[in-house]
Amino acid sequence: MTRAAFAPGTRVRTRAADRDGHSRLPRYARGATGTVVEVAGHHPLADDRARGLDVAPQPVYHVRFRAADLFGAGEHTVTVELWHDHLEGPA
Amino acid sequence: MSRINDVGGMTGFPAIVEEPDEPRFHEDWEAHVFALNGALIKRGIYNLDEFRDAQERLPVAEFLGSSYYERWFAAITTLLAEKGVLAREETAP
Amino acid sequence: MSGEHHSSDISARVRRVEALLEERGLLGPGEIDQRIDEFAAGGTPANGARVVARAWVDPGFRARLLDDANAVLPEVGLSMAGGLQEQRLKVVANTDDVHNVLVCTLCSCYPIALLGPSPSWYKSEAYRSRVVRDPRSVLAEFGVTVPPDTGIAVWDASAESRYMVLPRRPAGTDDLDEAELTALVTRRGLIGTALV
Repeated sequence: MTRAAFAPGTRVRTRAADRDGHSRLPRYARGATGTVVEVAGHHPLADDRARGLDVAPQPVYHVRFRAADLFGAGEHTVTVELWHDHLEGPA
Repeated sequence: MSRINDVGGMTGFPAIVEEPDEPRFHEDWEAHVFALNGALIKRGIYNLDEFRDAQERLPVAEFLGSSYYERWFAAITTLLAEKGVLAREETAP
Repeated sequence: MSGEHHSSDISARVRRVEALLEERGLLGPGEIDQRIDEFAAGGTPANGARVVARAWVDPGFRARLLDDANAVLPEVGLSMAGGLQEQRLKVVANTDDVHNVLVCTLCSCYPIALLGPSPSWYKSEAYRSRVVRDPRSVLAEFGVTVPPDTGIAVWDASAESRYMVLPRRPAGTDDLDEAELTALVTRRGLIGTALV
């Protein structure tokens, strides 16, 4: 693994870019700030695999967001599983 | 670009309906589509992410007008054509 | 559109594709039927119920389950390896402070190898669009009232992990043995749209 993983507790920001094609970064979670709660292994980025690319594994994280930070309202949290490349952190 | 599958946080879909005693598959062909997809991925004809991508690339009206396994079958035939395995005419209705 | 006609039409197309792939050596004879049989004999919500009941009666198992579910599934004769590849299972526990509910907003990810196919409502746009934004009202439609001071945690299965909820053990079940507890657990409880 060439890239250091973000440790749990790290504040991270998701990419805001609306990339062409397949992405596993949901629209509602783009450009949002959340907290890494767990490292969930290492996998090749699905967005690249969908393009037929043979790429190296990278860290995957559970990232927790406050609903209010995603939707402007709500008391709940939403935990999304994201690849390292989806994140711009630490925020 | 956001695609039609990416619905988290959207509004306007119909009510959530729970089907009592739902069977694993509603029709025999659905089980065949499920198994076919697994077999083709196992053989390396395409991968799971290409399969998801192929569903997301369906024309929006077709996507929304199709059932869950109809989308699967449309994605399978799309990929079989793009990978040069079966011609479009061979899988067309 | 005639549903029956449409169904026989797509059914014939699926058979034609299978036959062509067999002709070209890309499917073995009987391979599809074998896969269907294997799948039918595979995952079921009863597997999740067994895991939950064991966690209710065995605190050590519960702790190990929440720490690394894949490592402890073999203790109850289960695994996540029945699908295309072994997947990571993350079990999230309901407590006094938090009620968990699962979704896949991008498609329909679900621990199929363990629990079998997901229900249609789980795969519907209606559920997937709303539960991330307004889980409390969605849960209310399922008859689940979460107390105001209990938080709600939504888990979106957007990558490689699959999730399962560990419901709280219902009050008044101290006399029940593990098998009886297993019978209390529902598929909706494992997703978070029921309390048990």
